[in-house]
Amino acid sequence: MNPSDAVREGLIALLPRLRRLARVLAGQAADADDLVQVVLERALARSAQWRPDAALDKWVFAIARNAWRDELRARGRAQHLFAPEEAGEAVADGGEARHAQRMELAQALAMLPPDHREVVALVLVEGLSYDEAAALLEVPAGTVTSRLARARAALQAQLGNDA
Amino acid sequence: MNPIDDDILQAYVDGALGAADAARVDAALAQDEALVRRVRQMRALDAQLRAAFDPVLDEPVPARLSALLQPRAAPAVVPLAVPEGGRGANPVRRRAPRRWLMPGAALAASVALFVAGLWWWHAGNGMVRMRNGEPYAAGVLDRALGHALASEPDARAAVAIGLSFRANDGRICRTFTVRTPPARAGLACHTAAGWELPVLGPAAPAEGGELRQAASDLPPAVQAAVDTRLRGNVFDARQERAARAAGWH
Repeated sequence: MNPSDAVREGLIALLPRLRRLARVLAGQAADADDLVQVVLERALARSAQWRPDAALDKWVFAIARNAWRDELRARGRAQHLFAPEEAGEAVADGGEARHAQRMELAQALAMLPPDHREVVALVLVEGLSYDEAAALLEVPAGTVTSRLARARAALQAQLGNDA
Repeated sequence: MNPIDDDILQAYVDGALGAADAARVDAALAQDEALVRRVRQMRALDAQLRAAFDPVLDEPVPARLSALLQPRAAPAVVPLAVPEGGRGANPVRRRAPRRWLMPGAALAASVALFVAGLWWWHAGNGMVRMRNGEPYAAGVLDRALGHALASEPDARAAVAIGLSFRANDGRICRTFTVRTPPARAGLACHTAAGWELPVLGPAAPAEGGELRQAASDLPPAVQAAVDTRLRGNVFDARQERAARAAGWH
């Protein structure tokens, strides 16, 4: 199997997780899938750069994070990728009872700075270790933990869970 | 003085502490109610995040994304005719402007395209072709949609037709079930380019493992797609026959 076939097959398996990551980062489902499309195109175009001994998911997630940053820059709205009132579309709907809670969560996420949203996506949703997230983001592990602590505090304050 | 700061506590919750440090936090938790509460808050937040985003893993992948990952050599991705509007040979629209979610998350979740597994199914049995990044019926599925009548069911046919109706965009749509493994159910809508497949997903097996198709057996995603498109009533046998005679226009 040549490298581009290996990457393509890996991407097929990775697609659900990539979409989940993009949903946390980008918010709305349509924006998230636009981001996924860019990531797939970049990963395929750069498949020769992927070394089979490196984990494909981390490689692709790094591409996703950078593509998302590019998108934020292009939009010139680094703080808010989308209006918080639209943020409810970010999360899957799960019945009336949970809907309000999920809207609130999506809005709280939308208000996080990009640095913080990234660590939430990578560590809390994707389950990467601090070291893995640090390597992916090219920052020290201590930076990941301090961003994560501040992101958690901000989310809890927004959600009114801090009482 | 409290020796357990937020960073330590967070690392404890995230499973990032070594055994000795974790034991130290365990000991502190046994005598500090405030610490216990903070751990509980963090875990609740994590659970809330997972509950909100994990369902994305089970959502159908939009066709425009799975289409990007098809082997370039697969002949089925090549448009069979020159695309209208001169979009060229690229089967996938870049940065497609289409919004995949309709207003309202509930509607969106059920109506969002349902093409998980499209890629391998398509590669496996040639019932689907891609055209401008959208899936269309091909082969036996295309023939069944064009010719089979629900009023004349054929229990041995690979494809069973369910409901036929005129959608609110004026096109005629038909639900179908593919009986041959991997069993699939979906919705096809007639266009000048053939039967477009806005919804395609695993068939809901009926009791006893047999696949039937009655309206009540439609997978929820197909049913939801019908509900959003249906204008008026579904066709009766006479209307279905007349629609076929008119070439599904």
